[in-house]
Amino acid sequence: MLAPFFAFFSVFMLYPIVINFYYSFTNYRLGQKKQFVWLNNYKNLFKDPDFLVSLKNTAVYALFSVLFLTCLGLFISVILNRRTRMVHAVRTVMIIPYATSMVAVSMIWLLLLDPTTGFINKALIALGMNVPPKWLHDVKLALPSLIFINVWKNLGYVMLIYLSGLQNIPGELYEAATVDGAGLWHKFRRITLPMIAPTAFFVLITTSIEAFKTFEQVQIMTQGAPVNATSTVVYQIYQRAFNDYRMGYAGAMSVVLFLVILAVTLVNVFWMKKNEEKNIW
Amino acid sequence: MKERLIRLTAIVFAVLCVGFVLFPFFLMLSISLQTMSEVYAPSPVLIPKVPQFENYVKAMQNGNWARYFLNSALVTVVVTAISLVINSMAGYVFARLKFRGSRVLFLLVLTGMMIPPQVTMIPLFSLLRGMPFVGGNNWLGQGGIGLYNSYAGLIIPFLAGSFGVFLCRQFYIGFPKELDDAARMDGCGPFDAFLKIYLPLSGPVLASLGVLKFTGTWNEYTWPLIMTNSDKLKTVQLALTVFRNESEILWNQLMAATFLVSLAIYIVFIFAQKHFVAGLLSGSVKG
Repeated sequence: MLAPFFAFFSVFMLYPIVINFYYSFTNYRLGQKKQFVWLNNYKNLFKDPDFLVSLKNTAVYALFSVLFLTCLGLFISVILNRRTRMVHAVRTVMIIPYATSMVAVSMIWLLLLDPTTGFINKALIALGMNVPPKWLHDVKLALPSLIFINVWKNLGYVMLIYLSGLQNIPGELYEAATVDGAGLWHKFRRITLPMIAPTAFFVLITTSIEAFKTFEQVQIMTQGAPVNATSTVVYQIYQRAFNDYRMGYAGAMSVVLFLVILAVTLVNVFWMKKNEEKNIW
Repeated sequence: MKERLIRLTAIVFAVLCVGFVLFPFFLMLSISLQTMSEVYAPSPVLIPKVPQFENYVKAMQNGNWARYFLNSALVTVVVTAISLVINSMAGYVFARLKFRGSRVLFLLVLTGMMIPPQVTMIPLFSLLRGMPFVGGNNWLGQGGIGLYNSYAGLIIPFLAGSFGVFLCRQFYIGFPKELDDAARMDGCGPFDAFLKIYLPLSGPVLASLGVLKFTGTWNEYTWPLIMTNSDKLKTVQLALTVFRNESEILWNQLMAATFLVSLAIYIVFIFAQKHFVAGLLSGSVKG
């Protein structure tokens, strides 16, 4: 009964994971003989300006996406946290962008952010701004625009997770605190925050893993432009592997990406554990 | 007084959130019904003067859209159906049958969940392209294109994911052990027990997994982009990007097509919203 799943899993998941590490040490190009080149790909990687800037962009993208999703998501969820039909309806509506494909979301925002035909700039001009920003065509604003779209798409998912965590906090805790004369801030700081910390931690991990893998927005909306301002690691992997067919080199990039994600996850886990021990919440 | 203030804040935030999320979708629908001169008008048009429903017809004639929808539907239905079968069986084994090495195998399954697909993307591509005896390949997997540009190439990688196994295991592990004892008394083997006792009770978990798999596969963009280049195998998500690549983007048709492509998800969402939410939440509960 396990066989069908494990057949697929080992051939199309485990084997590729292992062989990818091997590829990253070769000069494998599609349709050519491979040679073992030891660490050459990795050495070249850290001299490749396109890759380095993509690594930086990805880190910025991940940092701000995660920051906004984890904090803003919690803030809104705490305010909305009531067991009413209204909150249930809001939760359902908020999940719509999450269920919509990134391609569709990218198309909608491509139009809204278009410097001349987009609604946002038309509205800004109507409000009296003479030279509205060029958004995705502006070196400084392109990456923040992508971050904003990512937050817009995933906020509902984050709120869903938070609201379910918040509704698991026993109401008696708040009642007892009210009897003791605790204010709103005090209740948030001493009850909500410690009780929601594991949920926040889950949100932190999932949103950061997702953010490090970002590709579709870049491929569809900007192609890395303007001047590599929005190029991400996965966009580089895609370009090197499926435009230049340098599978070995791209494989090395994917190993680096994997290590970065692993490191971020481990750091978070340790940080969480440490805080739990100290009980600083 | 204070209580009323808190409630008021909640209502204000609720309205803001809903507006924030729905306004872009409203604009998508509105622009899909506008003429191009309304789209280009210097002041934003929110409601088209005369709704241009023929934008939808024109968008669907821009390329072989019947075929694209059929491709996406085929891949999505096959992936969802096969995943449900193999994942529920594997989940049952991990929940109920203990054998040597079962813990190690389950650990591997968990690892599979954490590996980003970009790590397997390149080897998976060469593996499927080098599949022996198909797509003009010889027994060494050379000479042809293997499963490149084939339905199998689009389907197979999504059957290997392990999230479904994890989801089903978590669900079955909550079943009372007495069920198995009763089944054994009646002379049922493990497979019979799964088929006659566990499967009929699996409605909720299979619905959640099915909805998640359906949305995930329908919305997939990267893998079809890598694995196909022929118009015959284009999925709807890939087909959408064709509008983007034209020299003058016909925004009204693009928005019409975007809405139609997302409609499949919204229909599923309307009927199975509960299961979708349940699936997302069960992924977040540690156990």
